[in-house]
Amino acid sequence: MPDDLCVSMEIPPDTAFACPVAGAAQTLAQRAGFGQRESYRFQLTVEEFCLCLIGLAQADEPLRIDMTGKRYLLRAAFSFKAADLSLGGLNSTACSVGRENGEMPRDLGLLLAAQAADRFRLDHRGGDQFCIVAEVDRRYPALTPVHAPEQTRPPYRLALALDPARLSQAAALAMSVYPAWQCPGSFRTPEKFADLVADGQVACVCALDAAGQTVGLLTWNRCSDQALYFSGPFVFAAKQARGDVARVLLDGFLEAVAREHYAIVLGFRSSDDLIPGYFEPLGSLQACAETGCDRQPVVFRHLREDTGMAVWCSPSIENFLRQTYERLAMPRDILPVEAPAGRPRRESLLGTLLDRHRDLAELRPFLDGQDMAANLAASVAAIRDKGIHRILYYMDLSRPWEAALADDLMQSGFSPKVVLPHGGQGDMVVWQHDQDS
Amino acid sequence: MTRILERIPDYVRHFERYVPSRPDPVLMRQYGASYLYRLNNNENTLGPPPLAREAIAAFPAERAAVYPSGDAYDLRQALATRFGKSPDQFLVGNGSCEVIGSVIRAFCGPGDAIVTADKTFAVYEWVAKFSGVETRLVPLTKQALAPAAMLAAVTENTRVVFVCNPNNPTGSWWNRATLERFLAGLDSRALVVLDEAYREYLDDPDFPDGMEIMERHDNVLVFRTFSKMYGLAGFRVGYLCGSLEAVDIVRRTHIAYSVNSLGQIAATAALADDAGHIAATRQMVAAAKSALHDLFDTLGLEYVSGAGNFIMVRTPMSDTLLYRKLMQKGVMVRTMTGFRYPNWIRVSMAEAPAMEAFAKAFTSVLDTP
Repeated sequence: MPDDLCVSMEIPPDTAFACPVAGAAQTLAQRAGFGQRESYRFQLTVEEFCLCLIGLAQADEPLRIDMTGKRYLLRAAFSFKAADLSLGGLNSTACSVGRENGEMPRDLGLLLAAQAADRFRLDHRGGDQFCIVAEVDRRYPALTPVHAPEQTRPPYRLALALDPARLSQAAALAMSVYPAWQCPGSFRTPEKFADLVADGQVACVCALDAAGQTVGLLTWNRCSDQALYFSGPFVFAAKQARGDVARVLLDGFLEAVAREHYAIVLGFRSSDDLIPGYFEPLGSLQACAETGCDRQPVVFRHLREDTGMAVWCSPSIENFLRQTYERLAMPRDILPVEAPAGRPRRESLLGTLLDRHRDLAELRPFLDGQDMAANLAASVAAIRDKGIHRILYYMDLSRPWEAALADDLMQSGFSPKVVLPHGGQGDMVVWQHDQDS
Repeated sequence: MTRILERIPDYVRHFERYVPSRPDPVLMRQYGASYLYRLNNNENTLGPPPLAREAIAAFPAERAAVYPSGDAYDLRQALATRFGKSPDQFLVGNGSCEVIGSVIRAFCGPGDAIVTADKTFAVYEWVAKFSGVETRLVPLTKQALAPAAMLAAVTENTRVVFVCNPNNPTGSWWNRATLERFLAGLDSRALVVLDEAYREYLDDPDFPDGMEIMERHDNVLVFRTFSKMYGLAGFRVGYLCGSLEAVDIVRRTHIAYSVNSLGQIAATAALADDAGHIAATRQMVAAAKSALHDLFDTLGLEYVSGAGNFIMVRTPMSDTLLYRKLMQKGVMVRTMTGFRYPNWIRVSMAEAPAMEAFAKAFTSVLDTP
């Protein structure tokens, strides 16, 4: 994106360099037009990660920091080498662990860094190479309610040029018509949605009626190297026109992505306006919408023919996987993986994303460790304490160590619900925590 | 490696590689099928004409040690005799895909564009994309290439217009008058590739013969292939024909020695013995199409059946799901999402046992909720 601001540097493993890096982060945030609060949070994130990683990284190996200021967020990526990396302080439970003992939390710096950022993720790039990416979001104005057009008239067509005002209006319309769990989070701040589209992070098709009124929206974004997530179709037309508008959106969407490099399209937030026959059901998750506990269908379709794949599988979910693949008529070679006998790392690391508006927490495993079962249980408890009911966990079947965690998950009250073909590096199993457990 | 990857042009980095289907035994194992009818690539299941079969059988193994004729000398002589042209007007490639690449390399550079349809043979768009050449795609009108819209899409940057005639996958085609009007409107502002891969499946006097058209329009190149009608898809032999000047330019960007000896020999023999083969193939295709028309009519399904040895049908389920279900029953079809026809499949016409297997499997899958 042309207006991205980028700053990159490599620093020696010396704490004296953390302060100038933090200064660069602050300057970047200010130049990118972020407010004082976001700038400070970004500065804090960068400084604390720098200080911690300088301590963890291998001696004589530089720490690389790539900072980017986009319209909608600030991002810092820390690339480093570390042997036997342990980052327990980044777990969402780290704060309460210290508090329960009446002591200062361990790894206070990591804790501060994780708390200051809106989200972070850890990429293990093989061997002793790691990258932590932390992001701080721009604050946007809250949603202003809008009304759907009262009368629409055919023909319905796709809008070829989408200006930010149209995009913001469409996102606001979707929020006014559909339950929160069916809408992407960015719809709550429609200007952010428009910025994400401008940056290419989100793509969409928008439908108009004969008078040029916005009557529909369908959005998609990257899920993995092989898969796209879509949301919608969101239709703002009268009942008799809904099918026509939905078909315009779905055909436009599929034609737009048909020759992209993606193999599959996945939908967690497909609306009731989805036309039968376009997608296949993968299963459902508990939605727990404000109006009650709905079922959240998960659907998919291939964009090209499936050539098969090998997946790692723990014996405890082999039946589930075999039945799923048989039902989907999807060829997979299932490779057995046993539960880990010994775990070299003491502390595991789970990534946690919380979304109160959608009553949703998502867990992803970043590092295995001896405390994985306890970490899972503590994470669930911490999430429940925050009043969030829906907890999902994502397991990538391309990684044996992830697949081997099935028993830990079951013991912590999770059940495998759906398989997302190509949802990660390989197929992804989505587990949901059973609220009654 | 990371640094090397960072220097790759964006148009290559973002390009989707084509994933060919796996060998039959692998697919049969994956899908648990005891047999497999391939109805996905518009191959001629009758195989090659008799003389080509004999030539293939007579190929001496020792010849494998010798490089082929680097510019398919004998085959070009045979083509020249067949079409009454100079051998130098022909360029033979490893299938028409290679020839498409040679044409784009020859005529297009950075900032240039090609024009073609949005729902046509995908390779024009693919080759242009991974060559860094802009592709301007023109929507079909009533399942046919829209000449006026294609003319309107031509700009000063347009170097090549690809016209698939008959069009794959819809089977629609421009008649003589339509093509002549198009060429007059274009007024030689760009090269026109007439891709006639399925030309031999037509027997309509109103179908424009590219070999004749190019004599009056030196900006026309004609593509044909031995992969479809001649049953030599396994040998990958395609060719283009055009003015001496245009072909000379393309030859400069073309890889010599790309067509193997046996393919050249088989194609040359096929040309000498094609009348009966073409007639038999057309008869087989007509019978298969008739049977499928009846099937789709009975099921109440929309279909597009034009020229060529294929039919496209709109399915009441995801085409990719249907593909997998049919694979479990030993029938392979082409999904059409990649052609920008979501929920359509394309079925190649074949002999009765294959078409019966398709009909049975297709009906069974649609009947099963």
